Amino acid sequence: MTAPLASRYGSTEAPTTDGMIALLNLEAQIDGQQSEAMLDQPTVEAQVALIELITLRGLILGRIVDYECAEGLAERLARSETANGAAFVARARIRAALHLFADALNDLDVAEWLSPNVETINIERAAIFQGLGRYDEALAIRQGAADRRPSFETLGALAGLCAELGEIEAAERLYLEGRSRYRGVSPFPLALLDFQCGLMWMNNGRLDDARTSFDAARRRVPAYAPAQGHLAEVEAEFGDIETAVARLYPLAISSDDPDYTAQLARILGNAGRSDESRHWCQQAAARYDELVVRHPEAFADHAAEFWLAAGTDPNKAIRLARINLEVRKTPRAYNLFSQAVRSSQASRFAIGQQEKLP
Amino acid sequence: MSDHISGPRAIADPVADITDVFAFPCPGSPQHLVLIMNVFPYAGPSALFSDAIIYRFRVRSVAIASIGEAASFAVGPDEVTFDCAFEVPANPDSGTQPVQWGRCITPNGGTIPFRVNNEKGSGGEGVHVFAGQRSDPFFLDGPMGAKTVETRQLAFKKVGSDRLYGKNVLGIVLKLEWATLLKGGPMFAVVCETLTSGRRQIRLERVGRPEIKNVALSAKIFDQVNRDLEIRDLYNNEDAFNLSKDYIGAFRARLNANLAFYDGLDGKTDWPLDEHGNHPLTELLLADFLVIDASKPYDEASYFEIEQAMLKGRAHATCGGRWLNQDIFDFVYTLYINAGNGPPIRDGVDGPIVWSSKVFPYMAPPNLPAAGLR
Repeated sequence: MTAPLASRYGSTEAPTTDGMIALLNLEAQIDGQQSEAMLDQPTVEAQVALIELITLRGLILGRIVDYECAEGLAERLARSETANGAAFVARARIRAALHLFADALNDLDVAEWLSPNVETINIERAAIFQGLGRYDEALAIRQGAADRRPSFETLGALAGLCAELGEIEAAERLYLEGRSRYRGVSPFPLALLDFQCGLMWMNNGRLDDARTSFDAARRRVPAYAPAQGHLAEVEAEFGDIETAVARLYPLAISSDDPDYTAQLARILGNAGRSDESRHWCQQAAARYDELVVRHPEAFADHAAEFWLAAGTDPNKAIRLARINLEVRKTPRAYNLFSQAVRSSQASRFAIGQQEKLP
Repeated sequence: MSDHISGPRAIADPVADITDVFAFPCPGSPQHLVLIMNVFPYAGPSALFSDAIIYRFRVRSVAIASIGEAASFAVGPDEVTFDCAFEVPANPDSGTQPVQWGRCITPNGGTIPFRVNNEKGSGGEGVHVFAGQRSDPFFLDGPMGAKTVETRQLAFKKVGSDRLYGKNVLGIVLKLEWATLLKGGPMFAVVCETLTSGRRQIRLERVGRPEIKNVALSAKIFDQVNRDLEIRDLYNNEDAFNLSKDYIGAFRARLNANLAFYDGLDGKTDWPLDEHGNHPLTELLLADFLVIDASKPYDEASYFEIEQAMLKGRAHATCGGRWLNQDIFDFVYTLYINAGNGPPIRDGVDGPIVWSSKVFPYMAPPNLPAAGLR
């Protein structure tokens, strides 16, 4: 039996910048680029850099407001720079992050027409194909890129796709190979890779490995909200409720992403702490409702999961799971929809049984 | 940009991106040399040095090996280094800017601790050290430089636009007693590097001369050998004092092509290529380190004067090296385009938001965030 992934790379890696310093430097970069973007005629490069930095902060800190800010900036940029391919690539990226996959693909077509750079644009397309469940097309691009230029980025992306396809051994090998090629000192790329790896283990029921990977991501960047959130989820699965709750509280208070309040509500509910659970459940419900109106494609899946679990409204879950399935035909989307249908049927059956009672 | 944003690796992590290197005799104190390394272009107020990077100054004794068309340096084998490393701030949650500490390891193995952003710096072992945020001393009209390459015509305007106006960097300043600390002399070669810390140190960036990577190496379109190669990270990998044979042909081809392009911008040839297609400046620029003569007094516009004297077969008159306030962008374009045989090429940007001073730590204090808005 092979040793857990994290124990096989931990001691040999070059050090990365402390996560707190890296986060302050990310803020410093954003501040610096913001002053550049505020000039009379900011360059497209400066604006694209700002959009990418703000998106990265959103990803690390779990801040939806950052995604919305990046979306606004990218929209403005693409409208003002109609002849610049980079502007459309930037908008495609943030649109893809918000699951606006069709619009993102259109942007990439425009970008390719404006500045033919097939390799770069196809890499962007691969991420969207993956999100849409068009795995064959994604695999052809990802595999080709990794063969031509085996790097941290291309191997990590291929690993993520293999993980999603259930090819765990291949994914694990690619993760290891990819990280061995990392030459930077920024902790973010490695933390993101560890997180991706953690998701793979979690989805395949290897909770010990998932905990190790999420913890590695958290140690690299303590403020990495999704890593903290998923680590709490695994800790709760192991019965370590207090640690999980302590980890989720600050996130539930500080983050504008309802995933953390939803998770907290679920864990507290399962632990029999109903009053506390209700409080967080109400907060999550209100926030999901708000976000589903603003970004239905982006939040339909997580909102559906919430209404299936702590939210206890399977009918609402069905509606959202259907929206999600219309956006992307992935196995996960089908599973979510089936789960919602089953839950709704079970709920109707239970109500029917109750009505039959004298 | 001088060496700002000079390749994919620098773009990926600005805390490792060396923007400029300066070396000059201390004004009013000729027994001292001042060495400066700036990193982190467009640094916002919260920027800190990385705890995972060694910020290294490398100094070797250098002599003039030959003059005239084949002018070259002979770099000595002995080297002294000054390594600066930084700690993780101890008070991250206090709500104020965290206080960061660093240390400078001297060639004798001594350690000089210092507090980042302490204007007075710290001293010991013949070295005075400052590290912290300062106003970026470089100035240029970068977009018009890029447009010049794109349109193959000089694009500078009478009044240019400086994208670095009001911007800040993280600077490390060493003022050192050269006669006691350095080996050999009085001519020295200086190069700065950022390296990963840990057992296996990997060079992230190296900088000696200004505008090598961005002006002389980055354009691909004129290079008939490697038309699609982003060459700058390969270049960063190389030891400035020991270029490997593996890639030197690629660097030489790129420099020859790009320097010939610049020479042709005024419609005449000031730098005729030799029978192998080599540009007269190529070998001198491949010797990518600042050369400073510590026996000569401080001078405000002395960058490349030693090399120009070598090419002309005369003795140099200045300290060489590089002072903070010299208009390098104008100098480099004039050198490459007309070799000083024509009118100066001007980019229309003649100074930074605030000049550096002759008093330690030389570079001006950091600008307020909105200072760049005009």
